[in-house]
Amino acid sequence: MASRFAARLLLQRLSTLRRARGTSSILVASEAPADVGGGGLFSPPGPWSALGPRCVSRVSFSTRPSALDERQNPAAVDYRSLMSEEEFHNLADETIHDLLEKFEEYGDAIQVDGYEVDYGNHVLTLKLGSLGTYVINKQAPNRQIWLSSPVSGPSRFDWDATAKTWVYRRTKAALLQLLEGEVGQLCGEPISLR
Amino acid sequence: MLSFSGKRLLGLGHRVSAAAVVGRGYHERVVDHYDNPRNVGSFDKNDSSVGTGLVGAPACGDVMKLQIRVDEESGKIVDACFKTFGCGSAIASSSVATEWVKGKKMEEVLSIKNTEIAKHLSLPPVKLHCSMLAEDAIKAAVKDYEAKKAKHLGNAEAAQVEKA
Repeated sequence: MASRFAARLLLQRLSTLRRARGTSSILVASEAPADVGGGGLFSPPGPWSALGPRCVSRVSFSTRPSALDERQNPAAVDYRSLMSEEEFHNLADETIHDLLEKFEEYGDAIQVDGYEVDYGNHVLTLKLGSLGTYVINKQAPNRQIWLSSPVSGPSRFDWDATAKTWVYRRTKAALLQLLEGEVGQLCGEPISLR
Repeated sequence: MLSFSGKRLLGLGHRVSAAAVVGRGYHERVVDHYDNPRNVGSFDKNDSSVGTGLVGAPACGDVMKLQIRVDEESGKIVDACFKTFGCGSAIASSSVATEWVKGKKMEEVLSIKNTEIAKHLSLPPVKLHCSMLAEDAIKAAVKDYEAKKAKHLGNAEAAQVEKA
């Protein structure tokens, strides 16, 4: 399909550019003439230009506040204003490195078949053998930490500066508490991540 | 000798599928949705029977547009289409979503969970987020249709009041 091919090409170009410059606004600069001001904002590339930016944004929200709006609607939150990219990386890296250490220690203390902790390309993978695999990574454009859990599925955590924790808006769950609860239960031994 | 066997290997399938590669390949269902795209397309979003759900952000690498056409009387989704910008798992997830919503009532499709999509496609942990996006797209499409319907009803009432 022409549109899919174009989309893949776009994605390849985007990842190359992103690797080179490390910022998400590249898509805006290179593909769309309109200024959409931020990593999280949606600007329809090539094949979708017929939609028009205004129609797109109208479609994404409703006037009623709801749980659905609380997740990242493309134009609802300008993520760049939440914190700078550098600040985000420092914060997220600290959290993830801390988790890495604690998971490694935990692994030494317990007996779970196939327990393995991997950290590469800023992605933390915690394998619990047949119990499942956790993947924790940064999502810089949204200033979020993304988690994939064999228990609770995918979730996306935003930094709550007041509580000083990463919180998943939909369920109000805090990252560290969630992991403590799930991993502790799966492996049968309590773990402290805070 | 080496080049001959090398050529034969390359000739065997232009795409690496999960069947051939252990671990890192896409599941064959995902490949199937990619090779045989179903329901790719667009409805007129101004059509009153069409609900459009647009989710994701290109900066994250995933954008899905899922549209439903609803029969007003029965409240059933008679047709659905999608366009997705993203990885194979994202494309397959939204493709599966359009297949699953067809013929169902709107209340029913709201109960389609990302876990079911992920299981159907055997998505690896790192791709669970794609199935979540597909679930969100369905919900957004339904919500859009209902918002439009409410707006039309509101307009019709206002017109009647004016006449009176």
